[in-house]
Amino acid sequence: MNVDVNTSRRSADYEVLSPWADADPVPLRGIAPRPADLAGKKIGLFSNRKRAAQLTLGAVERELLEKFPTVQTSWYECSTINTPEMLTEGKAKFVAWVAGVDAVVLSVAD
Amino acid sequence: MTDGRSAASNKGMPLVRIVPDEVPCECNVKEDADAGIRASMARIIEALTKPLSAEEQAPKKKEKGTPSRIAFKGQLEEFDRFFYKRGWGDGLPLRPPTEAAVREMLAGTDLEPAHVVGEIVPRNGKATVEKIAINAVMAGALPTHMPILIACVEALADPRAHLGAYGTSTGSWMPFWIINGPVRDDARVNSGSGAMSPGDIANAAIGRTMGLIVKNVGGTRKAIEDMGVYGNPGKYSCVAGENEEMSPWEPLHVEQGFAGDESAVTLFFPNCYSQIWQYGSDDKGILATLIYNLPPGRSGLTCLLMTPTQAKTLAQKGWTKPMIRKYVYEYGRVPAYRHPSFHDGGGWTGRSPETVPPNAMDSAAIVPSPDHIRVLVLGGPGAFMGLACGGGLPGGQFVTKKVNLPSGWTKLVAKYKGLVPAYEKY
Repeated sequence: MNVDVNTSRRSADYEVLSPWADADPVPLRGIAPRPADLAGKKIGLFSNRKRAAQLTLGAVERELLEKFPTVQTSWYECSTINTPEMLTEGKAKFVAWVAGVDAVVLSVAD
Repeated sequence: MTDGRSAASNKGMPLVRIVPDEVPCECNVKEDADAGIRASMARIIEALTKPLSAEEQAPKKKEKGTPSRIAFKGQLEEFDRFFYKRGWGDGLPLRPPTEAAVREMLAGTDLEPAHVVGEIVPRNGKATVEKIAINAVMAGALPTHMPILIACVEALADPRAHLGAYGTSTGSWMPFWIINGPVRDDARVNSGSGAMSPGDIANAAIGRTMGLIVKNVGGTRKAIEDMGVYGNPGKYSCVAGENEEMSPWEPLHVEQGFAGDESAVTLFFPNCYSQIWQYGSDDKGILATLIYNLPPGRSGLTCLLMTPTQAKTLAQKGWTKPMIRKYVYEYGRVPAYRHPSFHDGGGWTGRSPETVPPNAMDSAAIVPSPDHIRVLVLGGPGAFMGLACGGGLPGGQFVTKKVNLPSGWTKLVAKYKGLVPAYEKY
């Protein structure tokens, strides 16, 4: 059987439905106000639990203490890799930790 | 950096301050980390102290366009290219999801098209029955696959499956879908020879549909949210049935708490699937193949794939699935220096410190517990065994969901029963 594929394709028009799902809009939030100066401040160091995060945050801590000797640091390691801490059993601990620091450096590493 | 921006945006903080990489994200060399951070420190301090702009204080909403239900009108090639350019495809040709084709697909469920089966991360897109059906049509699925696909979406949306982690991870994890119960035959899911190869509509299209749903409902984009280093061909489709009739043991879904006459889908995320020539056809050879070929670098949920013949051999010697799980956990070991936990102190492997061996030659279990292991009977005759090895996130589980069949199921199955390949004779 001889079929002209091009002709048969050209003859059809398709009206197709969208595969893209709707999603509820996420309320937007501004980022936390910044301290004018880091001297005397408590800086949180949040690790995503991967090896390089701990290494880079360690370097950040050393640099901060060298530049701002009165800085204090406080470490936090997430409960579960690649999962927002607010969705884990660590939520309450995390909220309390955030309330106790003036600013946070978060390291996302692999 | 794109994944960080996307993750923050999805949580409602699009303008979080990100200092670009000066250190490779996988770096474990202290000198390199120190140098990279030293080079970045001025920008880190600036990010910590620079006063907020008006937009950083109150980010403006992007105009939210309600997705149009009709996405495109035109000819076949134009449709395919339009969808591809929108990022809605997977690189292979798509079948047009016309109103009629989607209506036919919806014959596979009694649920309303607007019913939300689950929300899929990272975008929290609503997986309505209609969106599932649209993606199923695009993937070439049949209406008899719809009940399975709905259960697959339920599994994907279950937090215990950790899609948010595995779907975005550098580890390129692939969803492995295992089908049990009567629906396996009804939908013609292959559990025999070459079950995991191309060639069966169900095995191909169910996995492909779920891959499209991850993209089009969950919003996962390659190299933006999906940061898989190498990627994984299993993301096209990794679907198999368990060969329950030929297995001497209770099926996987029964182990997972369902009745034998129920149908179910089980999901977990391996990132490697290896096949190993068995060390011997007796019970000792079969078990040795498994325990000596577990990859110590994986150390998570693990599925042992064995043929009906291998399973019968073990069963004849008194082995049960729980016994095999315990044995593989107990004797699937390496010297500690070959295990990642010895090198990173338990860090990303998720093991608690008391399980980390202190000495290089101490014996270290590869899989964290017998409960991290499942046994799956499938495949045809031959001397190979399979290992599908996944990640070990805390709380991660094999997630099983019941497949609910619609009214008129028998008639629907009969309609598609004859759709099987009749190979050329030569």
